[in-house]
Amino acid sequence: MTGPDGGKPTGPQRARDPKSQLDRLLEDDPADLYENAPMGYLSTAPDGRIARVNRTFCAWTGRSPEDLLGSRIQELLSVGGRVFYETHLVPLLRMQGAVREIAMDVLRIDGSLLPCLLNAVEMRDDDGAPLLVRATLFEATARRRYERELLAAQRLAEESEARSRTVQKVVFDLAAAMTPEDVATVIVQRGRAAMKARGAALVLVVGEADDPRELPELRPVRSDGVSVDLLRRLREAAGSQLALELAQGLRSVVLDARLRADQPRLAAAMAADGVTDLVIVPVSADSKRLGVLVLARGAPKRGDLISLEEPGDQRPLHPALVDLLWTLGRQAGQALERVRLYEQTRQQGERTGFLLEAARLMADAADVTETVQRLADLVVSRLADVCVIDLVTEHGLARSAARHRDPAGQRLLDRLRERQAPSRSPVHPGVRALREGRTQWLHDPAEGRALLAEVAADDEYRELVEVLKLQRVVSVPMIVDGRRLGVVTLGGDRQRPPFTAAAVEVAEQLALQLSQVVERAQRFEFEERTSHTLQASLLPPAPPEVPAIATAVRYLAATQGVDVGGDWYDVVRLPGDQVAMAVGDVVGHDITAAATMGQLRSVTRAMSVDGPSPAVLVDRLQRGWEQFGLQRMATALFATLDPATGELRIASAGHLPPLLCSAGEAQFLPVRPTRMLGASAAPAEEWAGVLPPGATLVLFTDGLVESRGADIDAGMDRLLEVAARSCAADPGELCDRLLAELTGAHRADDIALLALTRT
Amino acid sequence: MGSVVTRNRVNASGPPEGRPMVFAHGFGCDQTLWRLVAPRFACDHRVVLFDHVGSGQSDLSAYDPEKYGSLDGYATDVVEICRELALSDVVFVGHSVSAMIGVLAYHRAPELFGAMVMVGPSPRYVDDGDYVGGFSRGDIVGLLDALDSNHLGWSAQMAPVIMGNPERPELAEELTNSFCRTAPDIARQFARVTFLSDNRADLDGIEVPTLVLQCSADAIAPDTAGKYVHERIPGSTLVRMRATGHVPQLSAPEETTAAIRAFLTP
Repeated sequence: MTGPDGGKPTGPQRARDPKSQLDRLLEDDPADLYENAPMGYLSTAPDGRIARVNRTFCAWTGRSPEDLLGSRIQELLSVGGRVFYETHLVPLLRMQGAVREIAMDVLRIDGSLLPCLLNAVEMRDDDGAPLLVRATLFEATARRRYERELLAAQRLAEESEARSRTVQKVVFDLAAAMTPEDVATVIVQRGRAAMKARGAALVLVVGEADDPRELPELRPVRSDGVSVDLLRRLREAAGSQLALELAQGLRSVVLDARLRADQPRLAAAMAADGVTDLVIVPVSADSKRLGVLVLARGAPKRGDLISLEEPGDQRPLHPALVDLLWTLGRQAGQALERVRLYEQTRQQGERTGFLLEAARLMADAADVTETVQRLADLVVSRLADVCVIDLVTEHGLARSAARHRDPAGQRLLDRLRERQAPSRSPVHPGVRALREGRTQWLHDPAEGRALLAEVAADDEYRELVEVLKLQRVVSVPMIVDGRRLGVVTLGGDRQRPPFTAAAVEVAEQLALQLSQVVERAQRFEFEERTSHTLQASLLPPAPPEVPAIATAVRYLAATQGVDVGGDWYDVVRLPGDQVAMAVGDVVGHDITAAATMGQLRSVTRAMSVDGPSPAVLVDRLQRGWEQFGLQRMATALFATLDPATGELRIASAGHLPPLLCSAGEAQFLPVRPTRMLGASAAPAEEWAGVLPPGATLVLFTDGLVESRGADIDAGMDRLLEVAARSCAADPGELCDRLLAELTGAHRADDIALLALTRT
Repeated sequence: MGSVVTRNRVNASGPPEGRPMVFAHGFGCDQTLWRLVAPRFACDHRVVLFDHVGSGQSDLSAYDPEKYGSLDGYATDVVEICRELALSDVVFVGHSVSAMIGVLAYHRAPELFGAMVMVGPSPRYVDDGDYVGGFSRGDIVGLLDALDSNHLGWSAQMAPVIMGNPERPELAEELTNSFCRTAPDIARQFARVTFLSDNRADLDGIEVPTLVLQCSADAIAPDTAGKYVHERIPGSTLVRMRATGHVPQLSAPEETTAAIRAFLTP
């Protein structure tokens, strides 16, 4: 250093003789360099025995040279280092003569590890045989820490990437899933692989999650490597508090002393399968808990690698793995929801089709009996194993149809039917459905079986039920306007999955359709029976036997509606051997018309007791009409005949003229009609003439000459023509011919016909 | 030659009619490990050397983590090599983990094998109750860490360069520590498979003459392991060698050769 004045250094001298110090350092004994070099020096025999070691290494390791000399370098290494030394370093030195930058951890005397990098060369003799290994070691603590961090970060990234890949694959695979089984396959396989689990199973909640009445049933959909027994025990263990179990989220069940004490059967099943713990992953969509993914982890089996975890040492699941499992559970849940919606839509379509088909079948059926049979057939083809339809009759419930889906079952069911009707038992779901007016749905198989046993009439009945394996029942009442018409009962056997709410809804729809058919049919049948009764009571008995005349009568109801109408005929013997005849037509051809006709006929008979002439009779009827209180107006033709003389009198109240058939000629008699009965009164005119022997008088109602296609005049002409051809016939034959030729298969109106021949 | 030969880089020498000897290297390096011993048998034996898939110059693309996730995958390859070369009455010489690979191969195709030579075998490295394998689980974790530490400079991307340039072998030669090089993922899995297998039960049913060579002070396969193998295979011969360490074929090739010769010579 020079001062500002350019003179000699003025400060105190730094060293007495810097040059000599440096020289001394440089000239230092190489032995000192060896001993105190900033690195460890080691020389070993080929087998690793330490022959020389420097002070630095001793200082680093805290060992004295005496300790080290003669011991083997392997003993100074960590276990991992020792293995690497034997498997890599020794061969490399032998083969290549040198190694560079080998990472080795050296054991300090206090047991701690000193991370080092090692370079070594093998010294050989002239023949190439190893003499000595010279090694240098550098401390590499910071570098190793950095490398480890780097490695850890890389591992983490790799694991994260692997998990992302797993999720991606799951999402991709789930997209193709069409059924819950597909979803289960994906999630079970992927979940198992992600966890490296021994087995996995997907267990789903079955039935209506919103059914508060009972705890949901659990159904294993797919299981790989988890035994049936283990799954059953797990369900039993979780059973009564399943909802809670599901809500608790991801959890593990470890086979330990506590489990053995609390759940001995589950513990035994786990032990039998070699399972050490179960991981339960909730499978959910939104807030819906759909089931659980069960992952079974176990001790290694023969051929498996030994677990690095100490036996019995259950480390908690890695948070990243927990995240992954949650994700899998949610993905599975969403896929299940999607599949379920798809399935619902499909089923909805199917149900609509089914109901339409049912409606068509019912429309095509000829009567209630056929409708019921067809419906039962349809139900067992799709919806249930057994369909029984009971209808309410005057004599109580009657079994109208009982169908089983297969012939063998049908035979058993028929035998069951021969036994007493179970419907009489008050606890039978059908009877209860009818009594309570609402659907009875037995979910629980045990309950179903118990009930069927209870309603059993005898042991044979019980046996048959047992053979049929029936255990689920749905009974739907048929009710219209508060009237109980019957009950439809569906039965499911052990193989059939439980009836769903949708299936029950379909059954209710069917019952509704059927009840409408039955109600209409019953009403129709009632009317029909009533009208038959009326007709039988209203139409007169066969005409009386009167000497010198032959009579024939016919009545044909309209082909539509009830079997009786407002047309009538009557033949009565009057005092003094006179015969009175009448044909009439009350407006309409329904029950009211029939009733009015009956009253009118009775009134007419009553008024004919004193043998009034036809015109008088018409006048009396017209004048008294209001008192009779008859609901409908009517046309009528009244005639009296003296069979001895052939004297004939006729009066008409708005009716068509009578026909005279004589000597092969037919003609309408010119009877002038007065007003209809029930219209305002007007004097009746009476036609008088003689019915020659052999001639036939025909009285008829307009149904004979009126047809939809032609007017009444054409009908009258046709009547003349047919009658002329048939004049020679007896009255019965004449009537038949007229009806055969003038009327068709379809009659819009009813017909009364009376033919009388003077013999 | 079939794909098996390429896949495992199979090398055969010696008289074709000589009794076949198949040398299998253990965990760590490759077939070069036998170069001080195998040639000494080539005068009167058909000597077959190969690299396990994932090691040495085997076809890395054939490495299937699933297949080689257990020793069985390696054993399958041994059987395939023997069949490909139409070998019979094979003397299988397996070092370290390959002793057990040989055991598994024997069970797969016992008709192929006439004798087993196990150099430093251990049927299970991890202690288990009374059985002393020499390692705790913690030791194995440390071993895997040590492996990782020595694989950092070795990028997985290098593997294809080395393997994919057979026309430029100097690329491989230039790399230090080359013949013990393995892609890190493969090395790690091979280490797991090696040190976490339990083949004790597989020792039952070996019905060919068997030689167990046990080194002194073997840090990897302790004396207890060799003794266990010997006792579990009835009629087997146990030879305790003066050689120390785990690789007597390198550290004591003469002694190793002599022991095998003695065993093979009636």
